[in-house]
Amino acid sequence: MNLSLSGVYRPHSLPKLLTYSSFSTLCRPFCYSALSSSPTCVKPQVPLFLRPPIYSTKLCDLKKWHDWGKGVALSIGSTFVQSDDGPDSSMLCRELKWLMEDAVVDHSLGVEDDDRVKMRIGIEGLYCLWKQRVQERRPFQYVVGCEHWRDLVLSVQEGVLIPRPETELVVDFVADVVSENEDLRSGVWADLGTGSGALAIGIGRVLGSERGRVIATDLSPVAVSVATYNVQRYCLQDKIDLREGSWFEPLKDMEGKLAGLVSNPPYIPSKDISGLQAEVGRHEPRVALDGGIDGMQALLHLCDGAVLMMKPGGFLAFETNGEQQSRALVDYMKNHRSGSFCNLEIRADFAGIQRFVIGFHQ
Amino acid sequence: MACLLRKSLRTKALFLHKLVGNSSDSHQTLASSSWFWCRQLSLSLPHKTTTCFASNSIPSPSFSNALLQIRFWASEAAATELSTSDGLTVQRILANNWTILDEHDGDWRSHATAIAQSIHLIKRRLQWEKLKVRLDMLSFQLGKEDLWDDPMLAGKLSREHGSLLGKMKEVNALEQELLEHIDMIKLAREENDADLESESLKVLLNMRRNAKEKELEALLAGEHDSCSCYIEVQAGAGGTESMDWAAMVMQMYKSWAQRRGYKVTVMDEMPGEIAGIKRATIKVDGEFAFGYAKAEIGVHRLVRISPFDSNKRRHTSFAAVAVIPILGDGSTHVQINESDLRIERFRAGGAGGQHVNTTESAVRIVHIPTGVTATCQNERSQHQNKASAMAVLQSRLDQLEMARQAQLNAKHTQSLTDITWGSQIRSYVLHPYRMVKDLRTNYEVSDPDSVLEGDLDSFILSYLSASLDKDDDA
Ligand SMILES: C[S@@+](CC[C@H](N)C(=O)[O-])C[C@H]1O[C@@H](n2cnc3c(N)ncnc32)[C@H](O)[C@@H]1O
Repeated sequence: MNLSLSGVYRPHSLPKLLTYSSFSTLCRPFCYSALSSSPTCVKPQVPLFLRPPIYSTKLCDLKKWHDWGKGVALSIGSTFVQSDDGPDSSMLCRELKWLMEDAVVDHSLGVEDDDRVKMRIGIEGLYCLWKQRVQERRPFQYVVGCEHWRDLVLSVQEGVLIPRPETELVVDFVADVVSENEDLRSGVWADLGTGSGALAIGIGRVLGSERGRVIATDLSPVAVSVATYNVQRYCLQDKIDLREGSWFEPLKDMEGKLAGLVSNPPYIPSKDISGLQAEVGRHEPRVALDGGIDGMQALLHLCDGAVLMMKPGGFLAFETNGEQQSRALVDYMKNHRSGSFCNLEIRADFAGIQRFVIGFHQ
Repeated sequence: MACLLRKSLRTKALFLHKLVGNSSDSHQTLASSSWFWCRQLSLSLPHKTTTCFASNSIPSPSFSNALLQIRFWASEAAATELSTSDGLTVQRILANNWTILDEHDGDWRSHATAIAQSIHLIKRRLQWEKLKVRLDMLSFQLGKEDLWDDPMLAGKLSREHGSLLGKMKEVNALEQELLEHIDMIKLAREENDADLESESLKVLLNMRRNAKEKELEALLAGEHDSCSCYIEVQAGAGGTESMDWAAMVMQMYKSWAQRRGYKVTVMDEMPGEIAGIKRATIKVDGEFAFGYAKAEIGVHRLVRISPFDSNKRRHTSFAAVAVIPILGDGSTHVQINESDLRIERFRAGGAGGQHVNTTESAVRIVHIPTGVTATCQNERSQHQNKASAMAVLQSRLDQLEMARQAQLNAKHTQSLTDITWGSQIRSYVLHPYRMVKDLRTNYEVSDPDSVLEGDLDSFILSYLSASLDKDDDA
C-alpha cells in the first residue's frame, strides 16, 4: 500500500521546513526532528482528537482497517508481555477502539458500506499509526497525541513523559490539604519537572478561583511548550506560570515563599533504564526517567531546595520509585535535614506500592 | 378557524347545560353536586364515607364544615365518578360490551370502549384503590403540624404526594375528556351537525392511541422504574459454551437498549479465555430503563448445537442476569465512608510508575464492611475508572439497602450472587426446533434470531402486565 503521508500529519501553519524534514523520516511526526534539531521554539502537536475532520473514508474501508488492526493486535498474543511486560492483545484491541474514537467523528458513522465517514486523519495515516504502535511499540498516547489523566485530556508527544495513573493521586493529596487550610489554598505552589503540565493543571484546578497559583518548571523546552499548550487548553494561563530551567533555578524570586511543592522527578536508577518496557525505554525521554545511580539524585536535590524555598507550614509531596526510595527519602529528610520537616508520611498507590512521600515544612 | 370557534362555543354551552341541567335553583346546585361527590365517595370507599353521607343529606350547622372537608378530600383523591350528561360512566361503557372495531372503521362506541378499557387497565396498573388510600394517608401526614420537624421525611412525603396526585389527575383528565366528547357527539347528532361529529370522532381516535401509550407507561409505576440502570450478565457453569451464551445475552441487551434509544456504556467486562465473557456490566442510560430491564432478572437458558463441539452435540447453557437501578439525585443514597473502602489497581504487577507505559487503568473498589465490590475498566483514565466504579458501588449498596428495607421489593433487586441457578425465566431453543419461551408468562415466539437481536419488548411487556395482575390478586 502507498504510505505517502503528505497531509496526514501536517498541523496547521507548521513551518514548511519542519514539515518536510519530518515526513522525510517516513511516518514520523515532526517532533522527532524537532528534538534532534532542537529549534528554539518548539511547536506543540495538536492531538488527533482535536484535529479538524477534513478527511473522509468509505465505511467499508474503515471496517477493513479495523479488521486488519484487530488481526495485528491478536497476532501479538502475549509476546510483549513475556518479553518486557508490554501490552497484550486485549489491551491493544482496546487501544484500537480508542484510536478509532479519536480519529472518527462519531456522529458521522453511517450504516451502509458506501456511507462516508468523516475523519481527522486519512485512512492511510491510520494504517501507519497502528503499524507504529505495534511494530515499533510507539506508545499509544504518542500515537493519538493525548493521554486521559484524571478528568483531563492532556496533549503529549515525543519528548514529553506520558503522565502515569499513579501520579493522579498527588492531586488528591493536595486537594485534601487545601480543603482545610486557607493559607495553602491561597498560596503559591510549585510543580518541578512538570512535563506535560499534568500536576500543575490538576493542582491549578483544585485551587479553584481563589488567589492561589502554580509555578511549573522543566528543563526540557518540548515539555515547556507542550505544558503551555495544555495550560491554555484549560484556560489556566492566569493561574499557572511556566518557566524553563533546572528545578529551583527559575524560582529564585520565590525563596521562602512556596506554600506547596510537588514533584514527580526522574527516579529510575540508571542501570534499570536499558531493561525498560519498549514503549518507555525506546520512546520516552531519558531525561524524564533517569534518576542517577540510585535514582535518588533529583529527589534529594529537591528536598535540599525545599528547605530553602518553602514557607513554614508548607506542604510537599514527592513521587518515588517505591518503598525503598520512599523510606530512604524520609530517612534523609529526618536525619540530614532534621528539624526542617514534620508529619512525614509514606503513601501507597492503588497497586499497593509505597509510592509517595508527603509532609510539611516546619 | 370558524369550525374551531364553533366548537368552543358549543363546549361552553354544553358545560352550562351540564351545570344547571339537574337543578333550577342555584343554591341547590352546590348542594347537589356535593351530594353527588359523597355518593361517589361511598362507592369507592364505603367505610370512610358514611359520615359524609349523613352530614350532607341533612343540612346542619356543621354542614359547611363537612362540605369543605369533603371537597378537600374529593379534590385530593378525586373520587368523583365522572359521567356524561345522560349518566354514562366509564364503568357503564365497559358494561355495555360494545365491540371494539379496528381504529379506522370504528364508530364512537368502539373508540369509547377502547379508551374505557385503557383507563380501566391504567387504573388497575396504578393500583387505583391502594393509590387513593395512600394519597389520603399522605395528605393526612402532610397536614400535620410537626411535619417539617423532619425535613428529609417531609420532602420525601410531599414528593410522593405530588407524584401520585399527578398520576391521579392525569387519569381523571383522560376520563373527563372521554365523557365530554361523547356528550359532544350526542349533541352533534341531536343538531345534525356532521362537521362537529366527525371532528369529535377524530379526537376520540387520537385519545384511543394516546390512552394505549399511557397504558404502557402505567406498567412502569414502581418507585425506581424511571431510573437508568446497570445490567449485569454472568456465564453459568459449562465453560466456553456458557461464556459464549453470556456474550450473546449481553449483546441482546445492548441491541435492545439501543433500539429503545438508550445510551449504552460497557463498564466492566471479563472476557472468557476462548470466547465470550465470564461476566460483564453495562450501564443503560435513559428514562424507564430500569422499569423495563427489571423484567429480565433471572436465569436465561440456551439449547443449541454447540459451535465449540467438534461432535456437533446439543448443549444447554445458562447465563444469569441482574439489573440494578441507578437512583436519582432526589433519592436517599447509602452514605459511604471513605475509610471503609479499599481501592486496588486491577491487574497490577511490576514496578509501576515511570517504569511502565500502560493504557490499562482499571480499579476495583471493595466496600470492606459488606464485601461488595465494583470494577470499571472502560474509561481512559484511572481517575474516571474510579469514579465510575464508585457509581456502580453506590448503586449496589443502595440496592442492598433497598432490599433490606423493603422485602417486598426484593424480587426486583436481586444481585447476581442472589440469583439461584434454579430460577430460570426464559428458554431459548435453537435446535431441534426454534423458539423462545418465557417460563413465567408462557409467552413465546418462534423467531429466536429477532429476540437475540434485541426485539425483547413483547416479552418484557407481557411479563410486566402479568406480574401486576399477580400483585392485584395477592
Ligand atoms: C518523570 S517526568 C514527570 C513529568 C510530569 N510531572 C508528570 O508527572 O507526568 C520528570 C520531568 O522532569 C523533567 N526534568 C528532568 N531534569 C530536570 C531538571 N534538572 N530540571 C527541571 N526539570 C527536569 C523532565 O523533563 C520531565 O519532564
